[in-house]
Amino acid sequence: MEKEILEQGLNLNRRKFLSRLSLGVGSAALGSLLIPDLFKGGNPSEDAIMDALPHFAPKAKRVIYLFQNGAPSQLETFDYKPLLNKNIGQELPESIRGGQRLTGMTADQKSFPLVGSYFPFQQYGESRAWISSIFPHTASVVDDICIVKSMHTEAINHDPALTFFQTGAQVGNRPSMGSWLSYGLGSENSNLPAFCVLLSRGKGNGQGVYSKLWSNGFLDATHQGVQFSNSEDPVLYLKDPKSMNRDERRKMIDQIAAINDLSFKEFNDPQISAKVQQYEMAYRMQTAVPEMTDISKEPDSVIKMYGPDCLVPGTYAANCLLARKLSESGVRFVQLYHQGWDAHGDLPNQMIGQAKDVDQASAALITDLKQRGLLDETLVIWGGEFGRTNYCQGKILPENYGRDHHPRAFSIWMAGGGVKPGIVYGETDEFGYNIVENPVHVHDFQATILNLMGIDHERLTFKHLGRRYRLTDVSGKVIKDLIA
Amino acid sequence: MLKISKIISLLENALFAWLGLAFIFIIAGSGILLPDWLQLVGRTHPLLLHFPIVLLLLGLIFFWIPGIRDKKEIREIGDLSFLAGINFAGLTVVAGLILAQEEYEGDALFWHQWVGIGIFVLSVGIYFLRDRSFRALKPLTLALVAGIFITGHLGANLTHGEDFLLAPIKSAEVELVAMSEAEIFRDMVQPILEAKCQSCHKEGKIKGELRMDYLEGLKKGGKSGPFVIAGDFENSLLIQRINLPGDDKKHMPPKNKPQLTDEEIEILMEWVASGASFEQKVEEADPKSELFQLASLKFNSAKAYTFDPADPDEVEELNNFFRKVQPIYPESPALVVSYFGISAFDPASLNDFKKVKNQIVKLNLNKMPLAGVDLKFLSELSNLEELQLNFTDLDSKQLENLVSLENLRSLALSGNQLDPESLEDLVKIKNLQKLYLWQSGLDDAQKEKLKTALPQTKIDFGYDGRGVIYALNSPKIELEKVLFKDSIELIISHPIKTAEIRYTLDGSEPDSISSPVFKESIWLKKTEKIKAKSFAPDWKRSPSIEALVMKSGITPTDLNLKTQPNEKYKAQGAATLFDQIKGKNNHGSGEWLGYQDQPLDLEFSIENGKAPKELALSLFYNEGSHIFPPAKVEIWTFSQGKWISVINEVPTQSEKEKESRPEVLEYALGTNPLEKIRVRISPISKLPNWHPSAGSKGWIFIDEILLN
Repeated sequence: MEKEILEQGLNLNRRKFLSRLSLGVGSAALGSLLIPDLFKGGNPSEDAIMDALPHFAPKAKRVIYLFQNGAPSQLETFDYKPLLNKNIGQELPESIRGGQRLTGMTADQKSFPLVGSYFPFQQYGESRAWISSIFPHTASVVDDICIVKSMHTEAINHDPALTFFQTGAQVGNRPSMGSWLSYGLGSENSNLPAFCVLLSRGKGNGQGVYSKLWSNGFLDATHQGVQFSNSEDPVLYLKDPKSMNRDERRKMIDQIAAINDLSFKEFNDPQISAKVQQYEMAYRMQTAVPEMTDISKEPDSVIKMYGPDCLVPGTYAANCLLARKLSESGVRFVQLYHQGWDAHGDLPNQMIGQAKDVDQASAALITDLKQRGLLDETLVIWGGEFGRTNYCQGKILPENYGRDHHPRAFSIWMAGGGVKPGIVYGETDEFGYNIVENPVHVHDFQATILNLMGIDHERLTFKHLGRRYRLTDVSGKVIKDLIA
Repeated sequence: MLKISKIISLLENALFAWLGLAFIFIIAGSGILLPDWLQLVGRTHPLLLHFPIVLLLLGLIFFWIPGIRDKKEIREIGDLSFLAGINFAGLTVVAGLILAQEEYEGDALFWHQWVGIGIFVLSVGIYFLRDRSFRALKPLTLALVAGIFITGHLGANLTHGEDFLLAPIKSAEVELVAMSEAEIFRDMVQPILEAKCQSCHKEGKIKGELRMDYLEGLKKGGKSGPFVIAGDFENSLLIQRINLPGDDKKHMPPKNKPQLTDEEIEILMEWVASGASFEQKVEEADPKSELFQLASLKFNSAKAYTFDPADPDEVEELNNFFRKVQPIYPESPALVVSYFGISAFDPASLNDFKKVKNQIVKLNLNKMPLAGVDLKFLSELSNLEELQLNFTDLDSKQLENLVSLENLRSLALSGNQLDPESLEDLVKIKNLQKLYLWQSGLDDAQKEKLKTALPQTKIDFGYDGRGVIYALNSPKIELEKVLFKDSIELIISHPIKTAEIRYTLDGSEPDSISSPVFKESIWLKKTEKIKAKSFAPDWKRSPSIEALVMKSGITPTDLNLKTQPNEKYKAQGAATLFDQIKGKNNHGSGEWLGYQDQPLDLEFSIENGKAPKELALSLFYNEGSHIFPPAKVEIWTFSQGKWISVINEVPTQSEKEKESRPEVLEYALGTNPLEKIRVRISPISKLPNWHPSAGSKGWIFIDEILLN
């Protein structure tokens, strides 16, 4: 403890010493002219960044990201490839694969037999988009969604791919997309966190989700995603004990804040002030959350829309309904994860189960936002971390097949929030393996989302360890064709 | 020494040669037909000009440092570099005059040329007057310096473009043009021409006789033909030249200049394709065209607001935890207001908006209790475009405040029961584009009427779920605890408000006719098995849900557990059986006593006058884990010095594997006074034949013995 106090003191002195030195030494002064904030203490440039946000009039005010964790197959959802059915069992031509690296799960496979979707496809809506038979509800809102069939990513395994999608880098430690938006735009409703996370899992082969995916990285801890509970109380320990009233609670929090303030003055640790703010937020959440989760004002057509599962806490449907309530109450970024899409084997059965879990509720979320006039300002995104191979993992059976990971082309959809409704963007080759038209890289996707939120992705930065970081790292371009 | 003086005199003579040559070019002007090799000399001008600048300035230093001219050797160095500088100046002037024959004209060239010549002449003068004590000498040298800077700057402007020098420090902030105001030529095409073409095609440097710095010049075209012809790519030289291969001599912009980006080429081509109009507004273009798409990204699609911004301090003051008032983006005067926090809502706070009433374009009051609230302030929000009033319990007459809002485009009224009077007001809001009326209690006739009355408005009546039938979820039984002493409150609830809950207490299945409807909480006074189901019109009935409550009114003393439970499942011993804690649905939770090899045998005393009439055993069954109903239950009571057997029973055995579950066996003890009770419960010695482990020993698990 004493050592830490001493170090803190030394740090302060060192900082002062250096900043004075910079005033005195000519060359240092010149250096500071060339590199503007070489010697500036703190981060005044970050303030300047924040003051200019949003950079232009936003189209979307909030995001609900329905992350399909484990990577749903594009070939059983939105990328219709009849050739794969026609050529079932035939080898994937080397000219198509083009030396693409494979995962350890199929790299040793001697044969790569093509396999087409066992589910029939049909065209829907004005865009005549192809959608498979296991997504009937999604098909019913096809005129409201924008299907992107040409997503591609850099990672081939779940953890790096997921981390890449969420933070813009394959290694952990960077802030998540929701944290960036919380940092850039703050919370609309000061009584709820700006970034909330809801988890659910299906019966399919699952992959983990970890708190690093909603980490604040090097940003202030207040921008961390708040994970909601799967139980009936989405936020645990929010109720006061029976004998405690609001006034006493208020006094208690004030006292704690005073004590925390003392230690903040001593250590200058930003984690302490973050903690104080979190206590304050929790106090206000004590009234905000029950109001938000109250469904007594919801007509039962809402339940029918999402399906009766939405009354069972912890299901995807319940999380979609909760996501709408959070979003409607001003939460900037609601992140859902639904596990169970990693169908290396037994794909048809697992896909049916997974689709059943998510199809109705995802479509309901769009209809629900729409009928409240909120879809125009809420961006809904549905998709996984990569796609799945057009060849079978293991053997093709009459009832069964599996698919390995495929980062080169996969499909997602977006809706509302300034995205062009009722279009299909991008195209893959007839093998569904490579993109032939309008590729969208993960960084392009992130840049586009930020653009919809009124942010220039190149200008939302944070200086850390001597370099400025941003969600899109060093690349990414806004896909203007997706924007209404 | 001799050699240097020779060189000096040679250079001095050369000066007059340059003067003469310059004179010829000035007189002859454009009348001369230049041979190609001379053009080459002309183009060395941008290279040569650097020498006189450096050498002349170096030489001039020797005029200014006091006393430096006193030393001969040093003076000579200064004179020599000055002389060399003048020679280069002459050479540069001649080359410049030749270059000027090419494609330059205009004011900037005029001044650059004459100041340049002036420098040359002046420096010749200064050179020959250098050793005279001539009073005007120093001022003249200063004039020379000024001349060098002026002509240098003008020259740079000719080559690199106007304001080349100051560009980096000029504010990069460009006023965002509103989509509604943007013109295709003025805001999309012209900026590209200015940035990438005009440095050569403008007054002063009219390459190819094409001027892009004013409209007439563009319309006139250049030496080789018309600049653009509407819709004609082949004959529009602009399109031709920018699409030539990069190494083609005629490719524009020239190789060494900044090139057009793909987007810029796209804009220029789309402009020509769409008619090359100089006046058309972006919004008049086809919204599906590429040009429109490009424009919508480039320009601020948000409406340009012409009203004045509110005082930022006043806006800041309006913000609190429950109300957010913010501009759409930092520079915009338009404000967006959102309310959060139903319990914190204060209707009086709606009057705070007086000072910003002209700036509010969007207002969100969703879910705020507005019943009976005076909404007159709404009628003053003259620039309001979007209003959200979902689920606000509006009553009639409140909507009349919206009728005067001419800018209102989007109105969300979902979740409010609208009466006919409100509908009449609604119809008067003529400029409405979007109207949300989900769950607003309108019948089909009213909906149709609204649609006809508001033909321009897109009305969303939302999803009503009619015709979709699902099974309801089971209701939820809420009990503070399962074991109680006197009485316990039972609450059964369902998240769907319209659902009816029916229940039974006798273990039978609830039905929709004879079973009682659950309304308010019930107090249970004895051990009961509760079953409940929910029913609702347009829904299938739910599966039933069960719960067990057990009364345990009497606590015994002197517990004597004669047989010990299995080592793994001994919990807290005999005390566990009277601790009033219901075990969890898991026999390994440490709250259950488990017996396999021997029966449970327990004796305990009852305080005087508290003789129980009933005894109940709280057991746990899970056939899969070999936990079965007991083989036999025996109970004896002790009074007046002797034991009497009161129960000797074989409970019903399981016939198949079921889910793990708690169960209660109840026994009447009669009404006689008693002092002690002995209970013996035997596990089955062999699992039945249907069980996978048929023949193994069975288990019993017990967590509580209840006395009433």
